[in-house]
Amino acid sequence: MKKLASLAVLLCAASAWSEPVVIDGGAFQSPLVLDDEVVSLPVASFKLDAVQVSNRDFQKFVEKNPQWQRGNVPGIFSDHNYLRHWQSPLQAGEDINDLPVTRVSWYAARAYCESQGGRLPSKDEWEYVSQQIRQLDGISDKEYARHVFSWYSNPNSENLKAVGSGTASANGIHDLHGLVSEWVEDFQLLMTNGDDADLLTSSCGDTARFMANYDTASYATFFRYQSRSNYQPHTTTSTLGFRCAWSL
Amino acid sequence: MKTQSRRLCKLAMVSLLLGSMVIPVANAQKLKHEGEFIVDGMVFGLPKAKVFTEDYSGPPVVGEYLSALPHLQKLDYKGNKEHHVRMDVISQKVEIAPGVSYTAWTFGGSVPGPTLHVREGDRVVFTMKNRSDEAVVVTDPVKGGSPYFEQLQANPYQKNVPAITPMPHSMDFHSGTVAADDKWRSIAPGETIEFEWVANYPGVYMYHCGTASVLMHSAMGQYGAVVVSPKKGFSTDKKVDHEFVVVQSEFYLEKIGTEYVYDHTAAMARDASHVAFNGHVSALSKTPLRANAGDRVRLYVLNVGPSGTSSFHVIGAIFDRVWYEASPENEWRGMQTVLLGASNAAVIEFIVPEEGLYKLVDHEFADAERGAAGALIAGPRVKR
Ligand SMILES: [Cu+2]
Repeated sequence: MKKLASLAVLLCAASAWSEPVVIDGGAFQSPLVLDDEVVSLPVASFKLDAVQVSNRDFQKFVEKNPQWQRGNVPGIFSDHNYLRHWQSPLQAGEDINDLPVTRVSWYAARAYCESQGGRLPSKDEWEYVSQQIRQLDGISDKEYARHVFSWYSNPNSENLKAVGSGTASANGIHDLHGLVSEWVEDFQLLMTNGDDADLLTSSCGDTARFMANYDTASYATFFRYQSRSNYQPHTTTSTLGFRCAWSL
Repeated sequence: MKTQSRRLCKLAMVSLLLGSMVIPVANAQKLKHEGEFIVDGMVFGLPKAKVFTEDYSGPPVVGEYLSALPHLQKLDYKGNKEHHVRMDVISQKVEIAPGVSYTAWTFGGSVPGPTLHVREGDRVVFTMKNRSDEAVVVTDPVKGGSPYFEQLQANPYQKNVPAITPMPHSMDFHSGTVAADDKWRSIAPGETIEFEWVANYPGVYMYHCGTASVLMHSAMGQYGAVVVSPKKGFSTDKKVDHEFVVVQSEFYLEKIGTEYVYDHTAAMARDASHVAFNGHVSALSKTPLRANAGDRVRLYVLNVGPSGTSSFHVIGAIFDRVWYEASPENEWRGMQTVLLGASNAAVIEFIVPEEGLYKLVDHEFADAERGAAGALIAGPRVKR
C-alpha cells in the first residue's frame, strides 16, 4: 500500500511535468536597453515546459529522428562534442536518463521542440518568466544575484541533478536558474543603437549603455545575455540544455 | 687633401648604397603575409584571425619561452624569432590564500597565467583552444609542454585541481598592435582561435580575457604577463644578477556555503577580498625571492588590477633604475616607490644593501594588509 502510494506520488509528479505551464502575458520591462525608444515590451501568453528536456526525452526524439543521432549530425549543425557523454548514439545511460539533456546545439534543441509541435522560447519570454519567478516567490535581489553568480562560478556539470529536482516556483516552473543554462530562440544578442548595430557590442565596458538598472542583480541577468550571445548555434557544452515553449 | 675628401665621398656613397640595399632586405624578412606593411621599422597589417575546431587534447601550454611566476625564461637566441605559442583556456580550482580556493577561469591553469618572454621585433603565432568544458590536469608531467609545467609542479602553492565551467572567452595581448574586433574576439567552448602579432614595442605587457564582462573575466583570473625585451637591451643588462617577474592582482570573493565565489558588488566597489603578488597571498613568502648582498636584482613588475593601483616598494632598498613601462627611453633613477595603475608595468632594479630580509609591498597599505606582500631573502656578500 505504502509502495503504491509513493508510486502514485511519483506518477503525479511526473504527470505534473508532462503538461507545460501557461504563462500569462503582460508588459515586460527588459533588463537590457536594446533600443532607446522601447521601454516596455508586450509579452503574449504562452506555454512553457515546467522542466528542462531530459536525456530520456531526447533519446525518444533521436530514436525517431536518426538524423539527430550522434555521428549522423552534420558538422554545421553541431560541434563534435554533441551528446559526447551518452553511452551510445541511441542510449543516454541509466544513470543520466533523468538529468537535463546537455551537449546539444541550438539547431538540435530547435528540432526537438519542433517535433513536439512547439518552439524554443524567445529570450524575452524566458527573461519574463525569470522576473515573474523573482516577484512571485519573493526572491530578494541579493539572493538572486548570489544564486546566479555562484552557479557561474561552479555550475557543477559533473554532478548534475535530475530535471525538476528543485521545488516549483509559484508559476509552476522548476529550476529556471541553477541547474543548467538554456537555449533560447534569439540567443545571439544584437545590441542596437537605433538602426545601427552597436560598435562596442560584447566588448570591454559595454554595460553602462545597456543596463536598465545598475545593481548587482541586474548585472547577474546581464551577464547571462552577454555570455550566451557569444555561443555559436553549433556550440554544445555540459551546462547548456533547453526547454520548449508553445504559442497560444 | 683632395684625395682624402674624395675617398670620404666614395665611402659615403658606398655606405649609402649599402644602406639602401640592406634596408629592403631586412624589411622583407620582417614581412610574412600579403598586406603587412612597415611604419617606423615596425610591422602592421597582420592577417585575419582563424577560428576553427580541432581535436586537440595535448598540453594546454606550449612554447619554449613560457614560464610560471616568478621565473623568466632566458632568451638564448640572437636577433628575432618567430614563436609558436599555445595557451588554452581551462578552468581550475586554485588557492589564493590559506584555505581560500575558488574555481578560476585561467589561461593555462594558473592565476596569473604563464609569462611569455620575447624580444622586440619578434613575431608570435598564437593558438588558443577554449577548453573550459574539459577537466585539464596541469600538475602532472606533460610531454611537449612548456617549461611552465615543471615550474608549476615544483612549486604548487595554488594546489591546482581541474574544474569545468563552460564559458566563452577571448585573448587580448596588450603587447600586440592589431584590430581587437578581429584578433581579440570571443570563442565558444570547443573552438580554437589562431592569430599573429608582432612585438613592435618593448615592455612588460598584460594579457587578459576581454570577453564581457571584462571585469568579471579578469577578476576570475584570466591574465598574465608578456615581457618584450628591448632590441638593444637595457644599459645594465651585463650587471644584473637575478631577474624575477612579479604580477599584482586583486580578487573579489565571498563565501557562499562552503564555496568562495565572485562577488560582483565588491568588484564594482573595488573592495577586494584579497590582493596578491603572483596569485597567492603567500606566493612570495612560501617561496621567497633569493639574492646576496651587493647583487643587482631586476624585477619585472606588472599590476593587472583589474581595477586597483599599486605603489610598489621594497622595504630597505632604493630603486637604482626604473624603466617605466619597460621602455629603455623611460628611465628614472633613485625611486622609493613606483606607482602602477591597472595594466601599468615597470622594470625595477635595486642593489641589495646587505644580508637580511627585504619585504616587497604595495605601499597602499590597505592592499598590503589584504595580501600584497612578499619577501626577498639576501644571503651574505659573494665576491664575483
Ligand atoms: Cu574569459
